[in-house]
Formats: sequence, C-alpha cells, structure tokens
Amino acid sequence: MIQEGYKLDFSNQTFGVILYGQPGVGKTTLAMSDGNNGADTLLIDLEHGVGRTNPLHRMNCKVLTASNYQEVKKDLETKEAREAKNIVIDTAGALVEYLKQWAMDTQPGAKDRNGNWNGLKGFGIVKTEMDSFVNLIKTVMNKNVIFIFHADEKVDRDGNPIQRLRCEGSFRNTVWTGIDFGALIQRQGGKRYANFIPDDDNPAKGCHGIEGKIEIPDLNAGAQNNFLAWLFDTARANMQKENDAVADVIKGYNKIMEDVKNMVEGVTDADSANACLKAIGNMDHVLTSKKEAGMILTNKAKTLGLTYKKATNSYVAGDAK
Amino acid sequence: MKTRITKTLLDSWNYLFDCAEGQEDNAREEFLTTLKREQTPPNEAQQAGLDFEHLVMEIAEGRFRPEFVTDGTVNSVSGEVMGYDRYPKYYAGAKQIADIVRGGQWQVHVDTDVEVDGRTFWLHGFCDVIKAGVIYDVKFKTKSFNNLDLWHSYSHSSQHCAYLRCVPEAYEFVYLVSDGESLYTEAYDRRNSEPIENIIRNFMNWLKGEPELLQIYEERWVVDG
Repeated sequence: MIQEGYKLDFSNQTFGVILYGQPGVGKTTLAMSDGNNGADTLLIDLEHGVGRTNPLHRMNCKVLTASNYQEVKKDLETKEAREAKNIVIDTAGALVEYLKQWAMDTQPGAKDRNGNWNGLKGFGIVKTEMDSFVNLIKTVMNKNVIFIFHADEKVDRDGNPIQRLRCEGSFRNTVWTGIDFGALIQRQGGKRYANFIPDDDNPAKGCHGIEGKIEIPDLNAGAQNNFLAWLFDTARANMQKENDAVADVIKGYNKIMEDVKNMVEGVTDADSANACLKAIGNMDHVLTSKKEAGMILTNKAKTLGLTYKKATNSYVAGDAK
Repeated sequence: MKTRITKTLLDSWNYLFDCAEGQEDNAREEFLTTLKREQTPPNEAQQAGLDFEHLVMEIAEGRFRPEFVTDGTVNSVSGEVMGYDRYPKYYAGAKQIADIVRGGQWQVHVDTDVEVDGRTFWLHGFCDVIKAGVIYDVKFKTKSFNNLDLWHSYSHSSQHCAYLRCVPEAYEFVYLVSDGESLYTEAYDRRNSEPIENIIRNFMNWLKGEPELLQIYEERWVVDG
C-alpha cells in the first residue's frame, strides 16, 4: 500500500528505545513498563537478570532465556513472541557476545588461521547478523524494540566522568540510527529519571515531544509500571499532531519541486533559462525549495553551456562576455 | 572591512584545542595552511572521503554501474559474454547514505553576512546535500567503527552552526558518517547548535592575541570590493 506522507496514521507506530544506566538502577523493570504488568512484553534475558526484578512487575511478562543465539532466534518464531508488543533485549552487549559465539561456531570467516576470534572480519559478520535480527523484530514482526545497555563510565580528556553504552563492536554507534528514544536512567535525590537530553557526556535521544529529564513514577509508592506505555502513547499522539501540522508544508514543498523540475526540463537556451530563473524567484517557496530549485537550474544551465552573471542576475550563452 | 569566514577555517582553529595529544604541531601547521589559504593536494584520508562522496552521489543519482568482470566464457546460445558484477569495496555503506539523500541537491553554495562586534563577516561554504529542509553532510572514516566511540563526534564542529545560519529555511543538519559498511548519524537543530556569532567572536578574540596571525587573516580573507 502506498500512501501520501502527510496522510499517514501513526496509531500503530512502533518504536526503538535505548535504556542504559548503572547496575541496580531499574533498567529491566522500566523496560517491562508496558502498563499491563508485563503482559505485552517479551524479555530476552541474556544476562539472567530478570530474577532481580520485583515479581509483581514481571508476573505476566514472557521471559526468553537461551544458551545461544540460535535458540534466541528460534524462540522468536513462537506464539509468545508473535503476540508480544514489546521485545526487550537485556542486554544488547550480551547479545553481541552471543553473536560472537554464534559466529565462531557457524561462520568460518570469524576465525583466524589458529581458530581464534578474528575481530576485523568477525565483527563484520556480527554486525550483519545484528542488523538482520533487529530488522526482524522492528520491521518484519513490527514490535517495539527496547535495548538495555549497561553504562560504561569513562573520563573525558579533562578527567570529567562521561557515560557510554557498554557494547563491543560498532553496534554502540550504529544502534542510534534506527532508534527513536534513548535515555540514561539515573537516580538523583531518591528519585529516578529518564534523561533524554543528549550532550557530550551522556548519549541520549528524544523526539516527538519526549524530551528533557523525565521523572519515572515511584513503583514502591504504588505507581503502575507504565512508563513505556505512556511514552509510546504520547509519542504516537505527538507524531500525529506533527504530521497534521506540516501536511500543508509537505504538500507545498512537493508541488513546488515538481513544478520546478518541469520548468527546468523546458529550458533550452539563455532566454528560457532566464524566464525559469524569474519564475523560480517569484514562487512562494517552502522549506529549502528555493535553494534546491536554484541548484537544479544551475546544473541544467551548465549542461547547456550557459554562464550565470551575478551583476545582471541572468544567464548568457557560455561564450558571451 | 568585510572578511570571509568558513567552517574549514573555524574547524582548523578549533582543532588546535581539540587535537589528540602529540598532534599539536600538526594542528598548528594545518591551521596556518588554512589561514594562509594555501592550496594543498588532498591527503590520503581526504581523498578517500572525496571518492566515497562521489560514489554516494553516483548511486543516489542512479548513475552508478558496477564493473562487469568477464569470466572468460561465452554463452553458446546467446553469444553473450559471461561474468559478474564487481561492486566497489565501500558500496554497502555508500548505498545506505544514497538512500537517504536521493532526490536532494548536491554541493549547494550557501552564504550570508554575519555581524559580530561591529564587524561584518561573509560566511560561506558548500553543503553536501540539501533536501526538504534538511542539510546533510557525508563523512567517511577510513577506520572501522568497531574500535571507535562516535557519540557526539561533531558537537564541537562549527559546520552545522555555520550552515544552519546560512540556510535559515533548513530546520536540521545531519552528519551521515560511514566506515564504508556501517552508518552512524548525528543530527543538530538550532536548539542544540552554538550560534555562529559566538564561535566567530571566540576566534577573533583569539586572533587578537596573535597579531601576526590576525594580520594574515585580514590580508588574505578580505572580501574584494
């Protein structure tokens, strides 16, 4: 089905989320916060950490444990996995470790001539499989995917502490491309926060109105574990609002660019180039359409051997003085 | 007096302070070369970046054709020479970026006048790609991402600050970073970009403390007419 971008419906939009932080800060519990006592969540528990969560918060959650990557992938074909709305990878760093073992066991290129891990080729194989795995969950299965990472506390060149995602290989960098939200989970003054503010010290990502440092409801005080459910609902509603608000802008931009391309196609000499230049100047431009239109005409003029004269704001035949 | 200013000059100045330990002399040399507007051939890394960008452009514009390598046989029925298509080493990474920038305009010259403390600066440069309100910059790293920590690699760059200032209609600037295989993106808007005036002011204040360099700047970066 092909739809116009400005007519899209986001009520079933799925998201990618990164939650990271120090041990014990409550990342796994937060990842299960589907507002349904975990019933909508499949937790891929690669570090066997679910036992540390409060049983009340995981009572309905499906937990996938496996001794290797092949088992993880096979279990994604089960009814439980198909029915889940959220799939949590706890932790992404551990999944990379599982993938390394899978690569060593099944992919000849992952080993060097002595049978040891060949980092250069091996991580390439791991990356390809990781991409395919994430794509399976996000795109094929159409689930929300939540990556849990441990925080790696490092220091910058001035000795100030900074946080990074703990994960071997390139995934700690590339994971951000397909992610909608990323938050450092931190405890301050007895409260917990999801920090979506990106800066040099803390990787983070916010969008669709989910921004800043958001307090996480205190479950010990009786709050429902529904932070992610709230986040997804809020983001979907905001996406719809954003889309509706820019619908006219997008329509206007597309129309102008189409008109410009048609006009430029008809340019054959200096006279028609100047007429086109004037027409572009008189258009009510939207977003960057004026800059782009100018560039399209410039490129066409070049192919015709025309030269632009700034002083007269016009094109002349290439050999004209 | 109106002088030119570019992100290249500002970034080479910034590198004096941000360079790795032991690279201070190289950074100073690089800055002086830029300040004196000396033309130097691209180094190996720069050339690799240019080649990669060219590949992205070819794919995005539908002009890319893989090299056909014959295996030396001929189809006995059709008479067709048999063989296979050979793709360049970094094709996968280039295609990821091409899919994002397809339909955009390449190497768009952008400029604007910026007033800082009573001086006028002509800020100008070339955006790799502009498309529907977004400016894209293609970066290529010759080192695999595996061992790199890329988070906020460009937060101190003046590039997004400069180009968002030159193109007020754009709402976002996105760095598209590839190692030829993987893609890492970093996006900035006006809320998380330093106003270019601040960067220019800091640069000029620093230059004032280096009178010889200030003189070079004012001689070689003056806008004619």
